[in-house]
Amino acid sequence: MLAPALDRMLREPRVVAGGALMLALLLVALFAPALAPHPPNAQDILHALLPPAWEPGGDPRFPLGTDSLGRCVLSRVIYGARVAMQVAVLAALGAALLGSTLALIAGYCGGWPDWCVSRAVDVWMSFPPVVLSLILMVGFGAGLDNVILAIIVVDWTRFCRVMRAEVLTVARRDYVAAARLAGFTHAQIVLKELLPAVAPLLLTLVSIEMGIAVVVEAILSFVGLSVEPSVPAWGVMIADARPTMYEAATGLVVPVVAIFAAVLAANLLGDGLRRSLDPRLAQRLSVVR
Amino acid sequence: MDSGFAILARRLILAVPTFIVVSLLVFVVLRLLPADPVAMSLPPNATRAELAAARHDMGLDRPIPVQYAIWLGQVARGDLGTSIQSRRKVADLIVEALPTTLELVASGLALGIALGVGFGLAMFAWRGTAAEHAADLASIAVMSLPEFLWAILLILGLGVGLGWLPFIGRIDPQMRVAPVTGLLLVDTLVAGKVAAFLSALAHLTLPALSLALALAPLIMRVLRASLYDTYAEDYITLARLRGLGERRILLRHALKNAALPTVSLIGVQAGFMFGGTLLVEVIYTLPGLGNLMVQALRSHDLPLIQGIALVYCVLVLAINTTVDIAYLGLNPRLRRA
Repeated sequence: MLAPALDRMLREPRVVAGGALMLALLLVALFAPALAPHPPNAQDILHALLPPAWEPGGDPRFPLGTDSLGRCVLSRVIYGARVAMQVAVLAALGAALLGSTLALIAGYCGGWPDWCVSRAVDVWMSFPPVVLSLILMVGFGAGLDNVILAIIVVDWTRFCRVMRAEVLTVARRDYVAAARLAGFTHAQIVLKELLPAVAPLLLTLVSIEMGIAVVVEAILSFVGLSVEPSVPAWGVMIADARPTMYEAATGLVVPVVAIFAAVLAANLLGDGLRRSLDPRLAQRLSVVR
Repeated sequence: MDSGFAILARRLILAVPTFIVVSLLVFVVLRLLPADPVAMSLPPNATRAELAAARHDMGLDRPIPVQYAIWLGQVARGDLGTSIQSRRKVADLIVEALPTTLELVASGLALGIALGVGFGLAMFAWRGTAAEHAADLASIAVMSLPEFLWAILLILGLGVGLGWLPFIGRIDPQMRVAPVTGLLLVDTLVAGKVAAFLSALAHLTLPALSLALALAPLIMRVLRASLYDTYAEDYITLARLRGLGERRILLRHALKNAALPTVSLIGVQAGFMFGGTLLVEVIYTLPGLGNLMVQALRSHDLPLIQGIALVYCVLVLAINTTVDIAYLGLNPRLRRA
């Protein structure tokens, strides 16, 4: 039953392109120590603000030049992928788990559980998510775990809202009623009948959320409210490079391109999955972001 | 189906618990703070007794529920407290910063809606061609850059690279305008200063465009999707049979019916746009609410953070209510009951 769906997915160019780009970023993050020419925090003040190697004055030891402290831009952007990818994967999975569990409970049970979950979503939606994550980081303090936690606490609603609507429609279908008549327990119905039916939507949402998580982490680290100062992250690189952007634009452009690549990969993958798994979802999904 | 008034009334009644839950959440989270904001605000040679006295003055030595009750009581009387960092009234700081942000969000929204609806219609008119495919991929690419990266790239490209537009502050620092509303585009016109108006407009262009570029692709994609749905309806076929031109069918018949999902999207996104203003204001050194909030967050200025959070809540509520009203105007089915 899964093979045709997989086949359709792999024939969608957006899935292939987005998936390949995301896989490449994951591999870069995984093998950062082997790929980076320098340790990410190694300073070489004598070689500060070097242009990329192909420009006059460039040094082949620093392929993408150096920042104002003489740190290798290429090495930092490679190590920055570790923070970005960990946040992307873990925050997206965490938010998916929390959001869709609540959506399944709310959509399947109805009644007061549904009321509570829906009101919670309403409250969350009445506040700009970026501001909420910043406030959470002030309370939690710096650290990768806290960033992931903050994103989960803020973004579970993105899953819950859309998934609940989907669960409500699926739960009314005849085969669910049939399962109930056949004596399935509630847990069996939710896990064996509802969950597979909403899985394509969930998969698409997870992939889009990976991009959102990368952006949120970049915003947090740009403000200085993300990982510890010694950990290289793309947002930190952008904040560091901003005062010297007129002399050395590469230090700024490289992390911007990295964030763009990660979000583009997530969006292409999400869009492709949506198209190949369920064309009818187009409208509801595009409202998600 | 609910009547229009019922929807608005429900929205307003729901606003009270929403506000209480959000403020409670913000309040409790900020009390988890590992750092001591009071210690940060005192000179480094302050004694323990001075620190304790300062904490006592601000009521920070009391239990959290008591602190929250006191704060809520003060807010109800219109008192948002005093900033720990600047020792100024939080309400004054907010009132000074608010017009900058409102002007930015309003122009970002207007620009984003114009670009989004324009390209959405164009994309639909190109349906089935290579141009639609290209526009579709381009919209995904544009969507993949958040506001603050657009802000930086626009500065690099149009501000520094080409030198077309200014990117620091709200207006040429040599120009002085008497504040009336705080909205520079309005104040300069009230004062009759055309040069100052143009300067303010030029300074607003890049930050507004940064916000607009994050919004436009979403509008574009949703509008196109709902136009596809609308064109499946019989009355479009009927209009064609009556011999109406394609342009007339699209603009006069389909657009109004296809607009509803776009309007609700704009409602949600307009609320989110206040989140986008934080870094855009920092990057363009605009003295708005977002910039104030980032400073407050960095210095752990609790009363200021709470006050601004409250204002964001009210602003999002105001936008949602406005969108509800627009929705009623567009959807007669909701008005009848």
